[in-house]
Amino acid sequence: MSGSDGGEAVLTPQEGWESIHGTMHRARSLMYLAGSSRILLLWGGLTPLMYLAEYWLQTGGSDLAEESPWVRAPIFGVLVVAGIIGSGFIGKRAGLRNATKEVSRAIGIRVFCFWTAVTVAAWLIPGAAGMWNPESGPQVHHVAIGIVTLGFVLFGTMTNFVLAGVGVGIAAAYYVPNYLAGDAALVYSALATMMVVVAGALLIRKSGAE
Amino acid sequence: MSNGPAVLNETIHQSVRLRIMTLLVSQPEEARIAYRFIQGTLDLTGGNLTIHLRKLRDAGYVTIIKEFQDDKPSTWVQATPLGRGAYSEYLTNLEEVLGGVAFGGAG
Repeated sequence: MSGSDGGEAVLTPQEGWESIHGTMHRARSLMYLAGSSRILLLWGGLTPLMYLAEYWLQTGGSDLAEESPWVRAPIFGVLVVAGIIGSGFIGKRAGLRNATKEVSRAIGIRVFCFWTAVTVAAWLIPGAAGMWNPESGPQVHHVAIGIVTLGFVLFGTMTNFVLAGVGVGIAAAYYVPNYLAGDAALVYSALATMMVVVAGALLIRKSGAE
Repeated sequence: MSNGPAVLNETIHQSVRLRIMTLLVSQPEEARIAYRFIQGTLDLTGGNLTIHLRKLRDAGYVTIIKEFQDDKPSTWVQATPLGRGAYSEYLTNLEEVLGGVAFGGAG
């Protein structure tokens, strides 16, 4: 906390200048992070669900996946769309608690566009690489997770490094089991992702963001 | 402005009040910022923030609005045109005091 209540802290001109920069940066970061801990928790629930759905398709539902490889699209599509709508709702509510509409809307649109671009890229880039076919389809996740990680690192670098760390954690939670855990990799990835995201949400809250 | 040496506005040139004004003035003119967002962003106690907001309000630099949002009481703070003008003048004087170095190097 800054000094005693109402205390007149002495400020040099140079300190004043630095204070202006520091305040603008922190305010901007916190506005862009409105609702981020709850949004993280939402995706922390949805992403493991996607991993477990894929695990089921590769094991218990293997017949279905072989006969109808396109079945992944509606399953993941519903979860991703639910995540986008939920994130938008949480972010909008959190933003309106911080500032009036003209401020929160401008920031909310930028954040929404950024993450929508990341999500669309995670689906389209594998398609552009010719991976949307029965043979390569199951490998699409390898690329998609990398693109989502890049999104977290970029957004985290601009706002709060905890988010960049969450991105790296999500990547590790997916790729490490994939190389080490054999058939059950996606189950381990689901558990590890949940832990990374919950830890990230707690650290974001600790840093002052919602 | 006079041609004498630049004098920093004493109401604004104080650790907490400078940060409050920076936060408010960096938003669009019609924008109001939630009291709790200011408190969290500047890491202040409620008492400390209230005391400094009162000083800014008494100087005519901010308005404090209390209203209900979703049936819950909430307090909003907005920089007045007078406050924006005073802050702008403060920045000009700060630049002069710092010899133009800070603003020139900030990009």
